[in-house]
Formats: sequence, C-alpha cells, structure tokens
Amino acid sequence: MKWNVERSLMWTATGAFLLFSIGAITTTVVPPLVDETIWSAGDHVLHTYTEQELRGIEIYKREGCVYCHTQQIRNLASDQRRYGWRLVQAPVSKSWEYVNQQQSFLGTKRSGPDLSRVGGKYSSEWHWSHFRDPRNMGEKFESPNGAFQSASIMPSFKYLSDQDIKDLTAYIQTLGRDINWRKDRNGKLLNDYEK
Amino acid sequence: MKYSLQQDTAAKTLIVASMVYFGLALTLGLLVAIKFVVPTIGEIEYLSLPRMRMLHTNANLFGWLLQANMGVLLWILPRILHTKLFSEKLGVLTGIIYNIAVAAGLTGIVLGQVKNIEYGEIAAPFDYLMALSWVFFGINVIGTIAQRKVKYLYVSVWYTLGSVIWTTFVFITGHFLTQMPMVTGVNQANLNWFYVHNAVGLIFTPLGVATAYYLIPKQLNTPIYSHKLSMIGFWVISFVYVWTGAHHMLHGPITHWLQTVSIIFSFSLIIPVIAVITNFFGTFAAAPQGRRLQGPVPKLLLMGTVYYVFTCLQGPFQAIRSVNEIVSKTDWVVGHAHMALFGAFSYYAMAGVYYVAPKLAGRRLFSDKLGDLHFWIMTIASIPFFVVLFISGVIQGYAWLNPENTFVQTLMALKSAHWIRFLAGVGIYAAYFIFLHNVFMTLFGKYPGEGEDRSEED
Repeated sequence: MKWNVERSLMWTATGAFLLFSIGAITTTVVPPLVDETIWSAGDHVLHTYTEQELRGIEIYKREGCVYCHTQQIRNLASDQRRYGWRLVQAPVSKSWEYVNQQQSFLGTKRSGPDLSRVGGKYSSEWHWSHFRDPRNMGEKFESPNGAFQSASIMPSFKYLSDQDIKDLTAYIQTLGRDINWRKDRNGKLLNDYEK
Repeated sequence: MKYSLQQDTAAKTLIVASMVYFGLALTLGLLVAIKFVVPTIGEIEYLSLPRMRMLHTNANLFGWLLQANMGVLLWILPRILHTKLFSEKLGVLTGIIYNIAVAAGLTGIVLGQVKNIEYGEIAAPFDYLMALSWVFFGINVIGTIAQRKVKYLYVSVWYTLGSVIWTTFVFITGHFLTQMPMVTGVNQANLNWFYVHNAVGLIFTPLGVATAYYLIPKQLNTPIYSHKLSMIGFWVISFVYVWTGAHHMLHGPITHWLQTVSIIFSFSLIIPVIAVITNFFGTFAAAPQGRRLQGPVPKLLLMGTVYYVFTCLQGPFQAIRSVNEIVSKTDWVVGHAHMALFGAFSYYAMAGVYYVAPKLAGRRLFSDKLGDLHFWIMTIASIPFFVVLFISGVIQGYAWLNPENTFVQTLMALKSAHWIRFLAGVGIYAAYFIFLHNVFMTLFGKYPGEGEDRSEED
C-alpha cells in the first residue's frame, strides 16, 4: 500500500506537528519536571531583591547590558580563574542561584567580562565613575594612562541620572552574593556587598 | 462598500515594506560595527550600543527577513497550487497589522521598552500583534492549500505549512511563556534559547528553503534533483531541529542531560542539511551549463546555498563541548548567526524578491547588470565579513584561556578585526542600495522594455 502523505494537507500538517512536539515537549516541559534545581533553590537561602535593586534590574534590561556581559561562570577552569578574585577562583554558577530571577540575564556573548560574580569586587564609587566614563578603569591599572586603558568598548552611560546609576549599581552589587566565596588573606570570608 | 483588491497586492505590500526595513537593519548594523571600534560615536541614550544591537537584530529578523519571506511565499504558493490566494484582503491586512507591530515594537526598543528575551525584545502589546498577523498569514497559507487545484503538495508547500505550525508554538513560547511569573532563572533561559534557536531553525530555515525549492528548479528550468532527498530533508528537520536550543548553554548551569541531548541533535542536523544541499547542488549541476548562472537570481541562490552549507556544518561542530569551549560567547557566534541569517536566508530572500518583483510589475527586471553588480559587491564584501569574525572569535576564545590576559587586553587584540568587519559592512551596505534601486525601479520606475510580459508563466 502506498501511503500518500503528500496528497493530504491533514497528514502533512499533523505529521509535522507531531514530530515537532516530541522534541518541543522533551526540551521545554520535561526539564523542570525532572530537575527541580532549575526552579527551586532547595535548602539554599536566596537574596530577596529590594525596591532599589528591582529598579536596577529594569535598567539593566532596558540598557541591554546582557548583550555584552554574560552572567554565568561556566564549568570551565578558564572562566573560574578569569572571574575569580585575587587568587580565589570563582565558583561555577549553579541553577539554584537564578531561581528568584524573574528576569534572567545569562547571555550569549562577551564583549565585556562576565558579571555573575562581580558583586562586592569593586566599590560602588568605582562603578559610578566607570558607568560615566568606561575608559576610566581606576584602581584596575597602576597608571591611569596604561596601554590598555582605552581598549574598553563599553558605551558611556552618562545619560543615566545619578539615581539610575545608583539603582543599577545596587543591583550589580548583588550579583553572586548567594555564595559567599571571597576570602581575605587570613581565609576569613568577606561579606562586603553592601559597600 | 464592495471593493476588490488586485491580485498579489498582499505580496507587493510585504515585499516593499521589507525592502525598507532591510535598509534600516543594515544602517543599524553599520552603526553597531563602528561603535565596536570607536565607542564614543553617538553617545546619547537613543543611540547607545546595546539598544542599536537589539534594533539591528529585530529589524533584520522581523522587519526584513520574515516579511520578505511572507511576501515572496504569498506570491509563490498560489502558483504552485494553481489557484488564487485564499484572501487578498486578509493578506493586505496581515501586512498592515504586521508593519504597525514591527514599527511600534522597534520604536519601543529605542525608548527602552523591552523584554529580556534575546530576539524577542519587542514588548507587549506589539508582540501579541505580531502573533496575530502570523495567525492571519497561517490562515491564508492553509486556506490557499485547501482550495488548491493540484493533487500533490510540492516540497515548498510542506516547508511553509510546517513553518506556520511550528512558528506558532515557538513564538508563543519565546514571547509569552517566558514572561509568566513562575518561569524564572535558568528555566526562563532555556525557553529563551528554545525560541532563539528555533526562530532561526523553524521559521527562517523552512521559509528560506521553501523559497529556494521553488526558485531553483523554476529559474534553471530543471526538475529538482531528487524527490526522496526532499522528503528526507523535510521530515528529519521537523523532528530534529527543535531539540537543539540548550546548546546555547553548554558548560552552563542548565541540566547536564539536556546539554547532551542538544549536542546529539545539533549533530544530527547534518542529515537534513546534507539532504537539502545535495538536492540544490544536484539541480544546479543538472541544469544546462550555458544559462544556469545568468542574472542575479541563480547567483544569489547558489551563493545562498554555499553559505547554507558552511553555516550548517559549523553548527554541529561548534556544539561539541571541546569546540564550544573556545568559540562560545565570542565573535565566532556573531559570524555564525550572520552567515545563517544574512548569508544563507537573506540571499534566498533577495533571490525571491528579484524573481517576484518583475512578475508583480508585469515586465522584465529593470537591470540584470545592476543585479549582477549587487550580487558581486555583496558577496565579495560578505566573505571577509564572515571570515574576520571567525578568526577574531578564535583569537578571543584562546586569549581567554590565559588568565594573565586582562579582559581589555583580549579586546585590544580584536581591534583590526573589528575595523575589517566595519569596512566589509560598508560594502554590503553599498550593495543594498543597488538592490533597492533595481527592485524599486522594476516596481515603480519608467524604463524601456515595458510590455515585455513574462508574468503568466507558471
């Protein structure tokens, strides 16, 4: 018997839909059903965003920060070393850390460094001047006229109001705070995100 | 008031609007490219780099590519099915609603009204409006198929039909399900990349391939190389493509088995791709040598197929974990996305516009010579454009492996690559204006040779 799908609108449409739906369901509906870490933090305590930080999230989204800055330390030694702090390696990002993010910003492209562990690394004043003049790296380089001082291609956010920059900075200082990983030279954990 | 529209008004509306958006998208692309080398250009809120990037991708995807595909297919489908378009009025309404949605959505992006979904930035209510116009398009496609005067459905029809069905779900997932309150974090990211990848794979691939499956045999006056390969290509892609979204998060915080599944299926994509390109190249090879590359249409189709081969062979390999470690998050990915959406599918769409525009005007193309010139400038500019992004991606990927390189140092290494990217972009931009001039002269201009009518061959 010759089964002639090509003569039937119904069969072509149904076939295309059914074949598609197997993969669609397995990759979108099944993962949260079988892996609860992608929607539940379990025993971990997550930071609750303040009003100001929520405003910062909106600015982060509106200004499209995610198109140049990812928020994920991949399970790769190079990521852990590069985005670590002094000689402490950055911990690999875990799915539970993202659970309370109504707006996720994992990102696909790094034209700037990853930000998932940036909270607490720089002072809020550093961020304020960096947003206004991204070519100003401040304490990152010994000399303000260092060779790579001008290499950053980050756009200036001078047009943001002071309040906007403060809100945005407040959000950025929360990044990575659910794991307390930065230690001082005596091995004491630092918890200085509020600075 | 009873009032009937001329045949193909819908196709014409969509094609003309898409041509304008193509120019906008390329302008924005050029602006983004120059900001990568001189970041202080245009330092105002409404021209900031990330907003321009969102605008560039959305204007390309929705303003140009999807719209051009819809227009070309609304012309092609009635020809294949030997009937009239189901509803010309609905088609024009689709065009009007769709253009309002896209124009308003893009304006929203400039003003900062966005969603956090890559490729899905256009915010409510305009995303809903786009979904509505897609449903209208779907009704027209299915209605036209239902009233066909031929028994068999040709390959182009399968792909268009498949795309109408798949896209509906893909679009809903990306634009609406991701915004539901219980969808957060990595789960949201997974849905986002399901959408991003299938926007390319299940919207633009099937629509572009549908166009090529009609144009290649038609233009070359040669039957398609193998019907069996057409079937393999279509049925395998409808099963395989949708699984691959999670390959955007390899090594990332998403469930490990899902990453592995996405790698396996990304690799399996070689099967439908090889089926399709063998079919296309086979048809080219079987065509009479003298005229198989005459004029811009077959050239664009051939070069589009070449880029399709490259981009679709890249895809499977860059999904392998060890390769992904180097190329992921770098310029390589940008090159890959451009080679698919610009190299392959925009070339097919341009071929479609060049083919359909003279038929709409009822006369020959304004100038085959200008068409060839457009093709050559664009192609010669696009090769360094892609290549330089791949090279800089690999440089970036390896530079990141060494923790002694500060991030700005790794950026510094890409400076000349980004200059070349911008200069190549200027070439592509220049070629666009030749294309625009040629098509608009064909549709609206005055030139000798009118009345030389080839429009009724089908």
